[in-house]
Amino acid sequence: MSIRARRRTILGFLSPAVLALALIGIAPLLYAFWTSLHFFNLTKLRHVEFIGLENYGTVLGDPVFWEAMGRTFTLLLIALPLQIALGLGIALILHRPGLGFLKTLTRLSLVLPMATTYAVVGLLGQVMFNLKYGVVNQLIGFLGIAPVNWIGDPLNAFAMIIFWDVWQWTPFVALVLLAGLATVPGEVEEAAQLETRNWWTVLRHVQLPFLIPGLVAVLILRTADTLKLFDMVFTLTRGGPGSATELISLMIQRVGFRAFDQGLASAQAIILLIITIILAQAYIRLFYKEV
Amino acid sequence: MRIGTTVCGLTLAAGLAAAGTGAVAWSLEEAAKPYAGTTVDVVFLLRPGYEAAEAMLPEFEEKTGIKVNIVKHPYENALGEQVRDFVAGGDFDIALIDLVWIGNFAENGWIVPIEKFTSNPDLADPELDLDDFFPLVLNAFGGWGDTIYGLPFDNYSGLLFYNECMLKDAGFDRPPETWQEVMDVYGPALTKDGKYAYALQSKRNETQSADSFARFLWPFGGSFLDENFRSNLLSPESQAGLNFRQELMKFMPEGIVSYDHAETVNALAQGDVAFITEWSAFYSTLKNPETSKIADCLKIAPEPKGPAGRKPALGGFSLAVASQADEKEQAAAWLFIQWVTSKENALEYLERGGVPARQSVYQMPGVAEKFDFVPALVESWQEGVPEFRPRFAEWPEITEIVQEWGTKMMLGEVSVEEGARIIGEQMEAVLEKAGYYSGKKPLIQ
Repeated sequence: MSIRARRRTILGFLSPAVLALALIGIAPLLYAFWTSLHFFNLTKLRHVEFIGLENYGTVLGDPVFWEAMGRTFTLLLIALPLQIALGLGIALILHRPGLGFLKTLTRLSLVLPMATTYAVVGLLGQVMFNLKYGVVNQLIGFLGIAPVNWIGDPLNAFAMIIFWDVWQWTPFVALVLLAGLATVPGEVEEAAQLETRNWWTVLRHVQLPFLIPGLVAVLILRTADTLKLFDMVFTLTRGGPGSATELISLMIQRVGFRAFDQGLASAQAIILLIITIILAQAYIRLFYKEV
Repeated sequence: MRIGTTVCGLTLAAGLAAAGTGAVAWSLEEAAKPYAGTTVDVVFLLRPGYEAAEAMLPEFEEKTGIKVNIVKHPYENALGEQVRDFVAGGDFDIALIDLVWIGNFAENGWIVPIEKFTSNPDLADPELDLDDFFPLVLNAFGGWGDTIYGLPFDNYSGLLFYNECMLKDAGFDRPPETWQEVMDVYGPALTKDGKYAYALQSKRNETQSADSFARFLWPFGGSFLDENFRSNLLSPESQAGLNFRQELMKFMPEGIVSYDHAETVNALAQGDVAFITEWSAFYSTLKNPETSKIADCLKIAPEPKGPAGRKPALGGFSLAVASQADEKEQAAAWLFIQWVTSKENALEYLERGGVPARQSVYQMPGVAEKFDFVPALVESWQEGVPEFRPRFAEWPEITEIVQEWGTKMMLGEVSVEEGARIIGEQMEAVLEKAGYYSGKKPLIQ
């Protein structure tokens, strides 16, 4: 096959994928970038005008944007370690030999929270954490604890968001880490266990290196997911009370679709995208080196 | 009243036009003949007035052959859905307009003035009688500038819904007449044993700005803007109202900032609070024993008065023909709007759970007795202020500011004065950008 013919074949196979990606991913992104450089309000389309980087300036100097960003990262920094710790614990338990049927059942039930639609999780939360009729306050009532105002108190509402995020995504972390543990060669693990009875030593020096790729994937996916977490919070608290649970994605939606300032919302979204890319790169550089 | 004059003129024109066509009397069936088979798309909310209209729809479709396609949305999504549809030249043939959206829709040219149809004898029902609508309601819900665009459809006034049994148990033989009474007498007496005197829906969405924030501005003599469109939120009257709301929170359930309409109506329906100030539209929910434990104890009164009078909350929706619809769809849409808001259908609409804005229906014998919210409603519509919330195109941006800082005030994250100052500054920035201060836009709200 001549080089030209080979090129054509490669091009033929690649171009549909590249075209689809361009249409679905790159074109909207370019449009968002174009919008971000304009005063572009859906209810004032007669006054669209090029304003350069003014929207970016507004976003960067807006304390409300940074507060929302701060809340989003606070959620990430609290929820992610909890998910990893709990997920690792579950994975290690499931990795132990014995109790085959129970473990299969557990593995299956782990999928359930992940399979639940975000919006449904939010609605469930509204019902379960209702101050007066919620099952959570009924349960803690049996322990003699006074009803807690989960949804109406800023701090409690944030804690509730963390709870639901951990509930929904710990199983994902557990399953990824379980898959990682399955890649540890059996003889190496057995040899290590003969050497020491200390589970931490086995985990740190034998199992962990095999878990790193899975952990990096978890870090990247969970970070991206948290940065764009929207449905669950929207249905549960709608960002309130006050701004207590207004994460960055809720803020962008509010600016873009409730105040209709698409230009400003696009600038916010692009800044968020840049931050996500930087974080993903940082994760890969930091952790992949160790493998 | 320039709008009043326009309305009279239109009515007269419609009447004359109808008379001019001579012998054959106008009928819906005849008028709709050219449009049989046309489908009109409209957004409906998930509220009692819309269920009432939907239940009445088969009659209209049978008479006209026009199909009305209803797209249902919760209130919070209705504006966004319609704006996107109108911007993209979409499918909606009828606009559902909350009174605070009318400036926005009219200025963008998304809706057609009703004159186009009332001046067409083939389409205008001689019985349309625009003067029969409560003038305040027609003016506020359907009018912008000097033009009428929409006919009032789902109509609200703020009312005081109260649990008469709870009040009697506490020794009261009448509801509070003034807000000061609520603070000094009713609040302390009714807030006990895990029950509260009052619930004020204050969730951070339109509820915060319309139901909570604005409700305590007007009766105290305050307002959002002064006559020059500068913030009036730091005036002594506005501050008095907002501080009053803050102080009144001690008689409201914990977490009141997370209460939307559903939670508030439910709190009264379950007997957890003694009274609420809610839209007339929730009457049917509270009166229905299936959804309300206190149906037998429910009584309705006008909202309490403040130092500046009653000035109750005013809200509601009109239906207008969308300019993006083609001529046939526009005509069919108009026939539906005219029919569903007609004098003739007002009683059925009321009986099915809607609240019509026709004065004549409330004068019918037996109506005031059967629907005990009627006297309070009629009184409220005579004392309301159309600009309870400014209706200009900038409201969607301003309401976001009010929602954010209004909630922060209630949570104590900022002081009332500081919150009002910030809202004022941000509100003026929006108005400045829109061109109100440079004279580019007339000061209409």
